[in-house]
Amino acid sequence: MAVAVGDQFLQGTTGRNTRGMLRVIILCTIAAAAVSSRLFSVIRFESIIHEFDPWFNFRATKYLVQHGFYSFWDWFDDRTWHPLGRVTGGTLYPGLMVTSGVIYHILRLLALPVDIRNICVLLAPGFSGLTALATYLFTSEMSDSPSAGLLAAAFMGITPGYISRSVAGSYDNEAIAIFLLVFTFYLWIKSLKNGSAMWGALTALFYGYMVSAWGGYVFITNLLPLHAFVLICMGRYSPRLYVSYTTWYALGTLASMQVPFVGFLPIRSSDHMAALGVFGLLQLVAFVEFIRYQLPSKQFQTLLRSLVLLIFVVAFGGLVLLTVSGTIAPWSGRFYSLWDTGYAKIHIPIIASVSEHQPTAWPAFFFDLNMLIWLFPAGVYMCFRSLKDEQVFIVIYAVLASYFAGVMVRLMLTLTPIVCVAAAMALSQILDTYLVAKSPSPQVQANGSAETVKNTASSMLPESLRSTRSPLVGIYSYTSKLTIVGSVTAYLLLFVLHCTWVTSNAYSSPSVVLASRSPDGSQHIIDDYREAYYWLRQNTPQDAKIMSWWDYGYQIGGMADRPTLVDNNTWNNTHIATVGKAMSSREEVSYPIMRQHEVDYVLIVFGGLLGYSGDDINKFLWMVRIAEGIWPEEVKERDFFTPRGEYRIDDQATPTMRNSLMYKMSYYNYNSLFPAGQAQDRVRGARLPAEGPQLSTIEEAFTSENWIIRIYKVKDLDNVGRDHASAMAFEKGNKKKRPSKRKGPRVLRVE
Amino acid sequence: MRILQTLAGLLLPLTALAAKKPTEDRFSEFRTKSQAATPIKLNDDLYTQLTTAPRDYAVAVLLTALESRFGCQLCREFQPEWDLLARSWTKGTRIRFDFTMGAQNADTIHAWLSRHLPDGPHPRVVRPINWVRIISITTGVLGAITLFAVAAPYIIPILQNRNLWAAFSLIAVLLFTSGHMFNHIRKVPYVSGDGRGGISYFAGGFQNQFGLETQIVAAMYGVLAFAAISLALKVPRMADPKAQQIAVFVWGGIMLGMYSFLLSVFRLKNGGYPFWLPPF
Repeated sequence: MAVAVGDQFLQGTTGRNTRGMLRVIILCTIAAAAVSSRLFSVIRFESIIHEFDPWFNFRATKYLVQHGFYSFWDWFDDRTWHPLGRVTGGTLYPGLMVTSGVIYHILRLLALPVDIRNICVLLAPGFSGLTALATYLFTSEMSDSPSAGLLAAAFMGITPGYISRSVAGSYDNEAIAIFLLVFTFYLWIKSLKNGSAMWGALTALFYGYMVSAWGGYVFITNLLPLHAFVLICMGRYSPRLYVSYTTWYALGTLASMQVPFVGFLPIRSSDHMAALGVFGLLQLVAFVEFIRYQLPSKQFQTLLRSLVLLIFVVAFGGLVLLTVSGTIAPWSGRFYSLWDTGYAKIHIPIIASVSEHQPTAWPAFFFDLNMLIWLFPAGVYMCFRSLKDEQVFIVIYAVLASYFAGVMVRLMLTLTPIVCVAAAMALSQILDTYLVAKSPSPQVQANGSAETVKNTASSMLPESLRSTRSPLVGIYSYTSKLTIVGSVTAYLLLFVLHCTWVTSNAYSSPSVVLASRSPDGSQHIIDDYREAYYWLRQNTPQDAKIMSWWDYGYQIGGMADRPTLVDNNTWNNTHIATVGKAMSSREEVSYPIMRQHEVDYVLIVFGGLLGYSGDDINKFLWMVRIAEGIWPEEVKERDFFTPRGEYRIDDQATPTMRNSLMYKMSYYNYNSLFPAGQAQDRVRGARLPAEGPQLSTIEEAFTSENWIIRIYKVKDLDNVGRDHASAMAFEKGNKKKRPSKRKGPRVLRVE
Repeated sequence: MRILQTLAGLLLPLTALAAKKPTEDRFSEFRTKSQAATPIKLNDDLYTQLTTAPRDYAVAVLLTALESRFGCQLCREFQPEWDLLARSWTKGTRIRFDFTMGAQNADTIHAWLSRHLPDGPHPRVVRPINWVRIISITTGVLGAITLFAVAAPYIIPILQNRNLWAAFSLIAVLLFTSGHMFNHIRKVPYVSGDGRGGISYFAGGFQNQFGLETQIVAAMYGVLAFAAISLALKVPRMADPKAQQIAVFVWGGIMLGMYSFLLSVFRLKNGGYPFWLPPF
């Protein structure tokens, strides 16, 4: 009876409706799982913006919501990069802020007054649900299997490679960009399959949205032309390709030029030239195809083909010439360093100094993708079975994205979607094969083998994979079905456990608030950052300029609301080098620099007491290197290393190191915490000299509970015009001299 | 002192800053010498000449050990660059340059020298056009085109072979996802000793790896992917029920064993990792 009822639901139109319903429910569940697995940090800590860049995005969003769209577009920010300021409206990707601004206003319209902060915190998890949906659509275009899309959506929802950039509170461009990336690719495949200008226009629309949201749009800009190019080379040119590509290129380029930060780059920079070149090539190919259709003479065709080749070579040469002569900007440094991997280290230390620009070691791949990483090649292989336009796309994307992810940790993010899709295709193939209740009977098999001869004869086409030459039979025994289904289920469960563990342990820390565990297992919250930023907010004048290394610029702007000298935008290398020079020079050199830049307070991060390794002394060498790039005579990296080439901070430290402002600020008064001569730096595991450093031009203003943040006030000029060192010496001398005066021999006053 | 003399000293052409009569003579003398054969080899005579009383000129001296018995690889690698610099430099201070970064090229040394000299015309390094390279590249390219044109009927079927492309892309994917680019950029050692005379195959720590380690990992991924492909594509095409049953168990077993081993290797790299599978 029950079987009959089930049958009724699974047949005909009702069956299709039931399946559709089930699919919707499953997708909703996946989206819910994707959202909820990103909420660890909100539950553990609180609804707070994470890390560094998100603080700027948050500040910009607040500005947008308060002042409206047009003043946001023309925003000149005089509270960063003091005294230069920053044309913020023209130098940011506005997609993220505008998205949350729109959500904010819609919710207000619905009489739901949600705080903008909460929208910002929860935007990334919300969009991860949409990403899962986009992945489902994308995979469904690739595979005939009904389960592949759902599996891919589930993988995309919980895989740590994507969660790492989209937990609640990480309000960064990637939060919406990955959704846009996957969805643009889906639309591209859709338009390519249908040859439809409408889908092509939609691709361009979402491409435009992507350009406004993330600098990584260059990946799409180059991947789509590459796909088209490979298709042409494979002889798979079709009018569908022509329609979809030209529609996308023309509209997409126009759309991308609407973003002020991008402006005329699409026609002037090398990053975009591949798209232009393939656009031109497509016109040629289409023209030749058209002529060939009209004039089927063989000699003429050869002539045409060589003409195309000639024009292509000449145009390519022209592009190279324009690049060399400088009309077309060369590859942007960040993008170029992906190809020439040694380039950034030598020429752009700022890019090389960022930890997410380092190459990826293999454990990181496994950590972020777990079992998907080995299902991935299997899925790519399966794409070769029926190599149609969309499968070619998967293969190109897979090879290119794995290269990029290998060169730069951060680009693991672009690899993740394709890994999920390919792995889901492989796994769904296995599940579809082994989850069929019906077994082929040996008689059928006898028949089948008779057919085999025919089939193989007909399928002796050159296009077939070695492993799929013989005809499909099916699985005979239930034991094998059970074994494989059981083990795959176990792997999937393990995958879920892995993802939860990784998310909860590695990717859910706001990094603004740190947590440590006491020996008894209870959690201890370390909140030094916010303590210090609130101190600044409450105890300093509104326009007090804070100097710090650029990592903390956005946070100071967002949390303390004070002007900074440099921040994470890093648009002006010289200004950053100036701060680096002030930090790495002697006080006598640093003081004039700080005076010239009207610095009121200096903020540094020091982890020696707590053993917090991301502190400024560990970043110090980068400050030195960047400063050396501009002032090679005054700052030398070599001077910070001992003659034996070690970077030391104890009594073996070089004089340059010990006299540098950064060293002095870090360890000033530090030995007062310890018994005499016992001062210990817990990060570098070194014992400090018995005599602590002395400061004369700045004075300690604030030190947070665990000494992570130390703030110093820059002294004003001396009242009587002495330099600060002699003023200090005089004051000290005074204290010492007084008693000695008394002790001096008494002299009889004669007068 | 004897050691200093056995080390060959090589002189760069010199700069005269002031012009007293005897020194000018000496300067022009050395200048003509240096133009004849740069760089000048330093010997005792030259040393005394150069160091006699009014010395208002600058000399760049490279103390080097070119003889093979000193085994100074760096000196030999740097020599052609130094010669190049000498040729393009006709004015030049006696300071020490640290070769902590390995052998340098002429441009770096040029920048360093100009930094230490007073303002004035600093001649640029002129690298001669490497004709050999240009010609060999052109010949190579033309040769490749010709070869392709001639061999096209034989090559094109290979180029259109799907299995070849599949193998190629799988190898690329396996190479990149097993951290090959990290090896390439960081120049990690291939293997290293464990300190007790043995070999340690896996580097400690999450951010480190050895060359061999990545190859082992790539092989593991390859085996696992191959097992998955076999289970998905090959096994359901086997006509004999018995053989199919065995194949399922074999591939299932290989997958389980390999995955379990992979997890155990990962536990080695990441101490706190809590998950495992039966055999390992």
